[in-house]
This record gives sequence, C-alpha cells and structure tokens, in this order.
Amino acid sequence: MKLEMRRKLAREPFEEKIRKVGQLVRLAKRFPRRSRRQTPRRLPPGATR
Amino acid sequence: MPTDERAPDIPLADVLRAANGLASAGLIEDYALGGALAAIYYVEPFTTYDADLFFIPTDKGLTAGIPAIYAHLQSQGWQVEREHLLVRGFPVQFLVAQGLTEEAVREAERFEFQGVPAKVFRAEHIIAIAASVGRQKDKARIEQMLQQAELDKTRLEHILERHKLKLPTP
Repeated sequence: MKLEMRRKLAREPFEEKIRKVGQLVRLAKRFPRRSRRQTPRRLPPGATR
Repeated sequence: MPTDERAPDIPLADVLRAANGLASAGLIEDYALGGALAAIYYVEPFTTYDADLFFIPTDKGLTAGIPAIYAHLQSQGWQVEREHLLVRGFPVQFLVAQGLTEEAVREAERFEFQGVPAKVFRAEHIIAIAASVGRQKDKARIEQMLQQAELDKTRLEHILERHKLKLPTP
C-alpha cells in the first residue's frame, strides 16, 4: 500500500481505527496464516527425495 | 455461526471504564493506554490481540497492589488467563509503569473513546519505549511511527536524550 494511503488511514478517527482492528482480528481468526513449514514442499514431477 | 459485522471485537470502552474505576477506587494512581493500541492512535490500524495498560501503583510495595486490582476486576466479571485479564474475551495486560513508562503515563495525552475519558501514551514516548526495548517489531513500530505519526521532534529528542536512547539506524 502506498505511503500516502497509509497516512490517510492513520488520520482516521481512533474509534474508526479500533473498529477496523476488530475486523482485522476477525479476519485473522477466520483465515489463519499457514507458516511455511506447514506448507508441503512440492517436488518437480519425477523427482525423488 | 454468523458473525455480527457490527459487533465490537475490541471492547476498549469497557477496558478504559474499568481502568478509570481502578483510579476512582484509589487502587491505582494513574494509567495510560500503551502498546499496539496506543500506536494505532497515531498510525494506520493493524492486527493486535490485546491491550496494554500501564499504571502507576498507589501501593508502592512489592506487589504494586496487583492482587487488589485483580480482585476488583474479577468482582466485576473479568476473568484471569495467565498474565492477562479478560474482558468479554479480550485480553488486557496491566503493567506497572516505571522510569520511562511512568513518565509516559504522567505526560500522556487525554482523549475520549465512546464518551469514556482516558489517556494514551504520546507518540514520542511510544517511539522512545520501542527504542528502549529494541526487538525487531519495535524497530518496525519506530519506522511506522516516523512515517505516519505527527511528531513533536523537539519533545522526542528531549525524551531520547533524558533516557540516553538512540533511534535505530535504518
């Protein structure tokens, strides 16, 4: 995101920002990040470990 | 289960009301919002899972009055989970202010949140505290604050000088 957009978000009223934090938390809980270690490594076809 | 999009996930007004109650009951001398939520007062919103409240204890003994604070909040329905107190499932840490954080509480900015009067660390103190802790996430916070917050550069310089702190080099 562009810095100008971030600064614009920073200038929003605190109550609005807290509401957005709530949305971010809700999203993070619904779609938890998978760590790279949990992602199965894909090998090229025919390759063996 | 459908989620109510209007439901306030961060019950900050309840948290601040409770902190005001602790001050009125004489269990703490003063307090201010610190940590990530204080940073969000000045910068774009980002994900955080708890609130940090720094307080100046009335009880200057070893426990800083923490057992009485916990008992007071538990009597009002708060729950305890490890180092956090939970209000409507939202974790809150009550941290004893000392040195730089005590100064940050005493010089904190007054604001109102949903009609509840409260105090929040000034941007310059948030930066100084991050500089004093110095983890990677603190360095990122400093960069974010420098880019987005409206700062009083003179105040920041004085705080850094007074506490012998330096900002990390980019």
